[in-house]
Amino acid sequence: MTSEYVATNAASSGISVDRKKLKSLGRRSDRPGLVWLAKWAVLMTAGVLAVHFTWGTPWAVLSMGFYAFVLTVPAYALSHETAHGTAFRTRWLNELMLWVSSFLYFGEPYHRRYAHTSHHTKTWHVGDDAQMPFDTPMTFGGWLSEQSGLLLFWYEGKIIVAHAFGIVGSEARRYTPEGEIRRLILGARLFLVGYVLVGAAIAAGQTWLLIYFVIPRVLGGPAMQFFTTIQHAELQENDPSIVKSTRSFAPSALNRFLYMNMNNHIEHHLYPQIPFYSLPDLHDVVKDQLPAPDPGLIRTNLELLGVVIRRSLGRNTKAPTIRQAPHMITSGGFEPIARASMR
Amino acid sequence: MTDWVYACAASDIDQEDLIRWDYHGKSYAIYNTERGFFATDGMCTHEAQHLEDGLVTGMVIECPLHQGRFDILTGKALSAPVCVDLQTYPVKVEAGRIYVKI
Repeated sequence: MTSEYVATNAASSGISVDRKKLKSLGRRSDRPGLVWLAKWAVLMTAGVLAVHFTWGTPWAVLSMGFYAFVLTVPAYALSHETAHGTAFRTRWLNELMLWVSSFLYFGEPYHRRYAHTSHHTKTWHVGDDAQMPFDTPMTFGGWLSEQSGLLLFWYEGKIIVAHAFGIVGSEARRYTPEGEIRRLILGARLFLVGYVLVGAAIAAGQTWLLIYFVIPRVLGGPAMQFFTTIQHAELQENDPSIVKSTRSFAPSALNRFLYMNMNNHIEHHLYPQIPFYSLPDLHDVVKDQLPAPDPGLIRTNLELLGVVIRRSLGRNTKAPTIRQAPHMITSGGFEPIARASMR
Repeated sequence: MTDWVYACAASDIDQEDLIRWDYHGKSYAIYNTERGFFATDGMCTHEAQHLEDGLVTGMVIECPLHQGRFDILTGKALSAPVCVDLQTYPVKVEAGRIYVKI
């Protein structure tokens, strides 16, 4: 840690919830997660069938776009929720889904879990938060590279290969307990073997893996980024208050489902022990203590895009409606604050 | 030398819950579980986070910050990110009063 230890959570943000209420919201169950999985399976099946029956026609562009979306966003969301261990009450089910979803998402599960602990201990703190994916304040160039989704493959791919060969850098050692390093290496080796096998199978003619896994995952990257980039963009670095560092927004019902309610992102960081299916209820409980959520997915992203373009052009960076930290709003020019920790 | 020290009334802790108890500059967690009352160190062994807002499920306490889990009875670290066991302490209940041996 580069700064004094004060974990970023509800206490550091001056937010409180009645203990009994919090306890009831934190209760675990397998049922909501299984229902979510079933619905995701339906969407995935629809996507696979759509791609299958439109392949070779112009409609394949649409069907592949749909399938890429419903594959990638939920894979990310489930990997995140299971990394917390809150998706299911039954531990083995949670861990199984962590491995499956993380393979689809492209992130070794042990590293994903430990890196994410630092993101919660010191949310959006430069030098402490291992999951700051872009430089701040964000410019158009930074937005473009982040939004492509390709930097994530570079970052996670480097980690998988390095860890698989037993090379664990100082950054990973900072947030991983010493006794768990061997698990990072084991997990990376398993994932590297898995991805090499996928590549070998494709090279051997199993093109269905290319069509139903590799291509949609790559195409789904930008869609996933629309959800993740806005979690903290334009907000306050190095502040103990989650309210200042983090954004909640109000997407459509479909997007709330695909994202496992993580649009309630302030609420999630305040009380990370609350499972995804109770986040809407937690929102209702704490909403009077929080700023109103930013608008929907598209509008919030469009406003962010407008801000970063104007910042790169040296113009006024005030967004129409989305929340911004005071130092993000300038009439031209800016001071760099953070270098991305995910590179 | 260890002593039995009065900590709280049994009625202070809800069923399947815990409270924080501070004594002589150290913090403890006292649990009311399906198998009775138990006590452990109050701070998670992963990072400096108190367990008082954690979730008790059966005989497991889950840290509120990173969701690491410990066996309340033995203090054993059950799941990542916790790897180091919690120190446990003997507890006795007399006339509705909870004593911890420390």
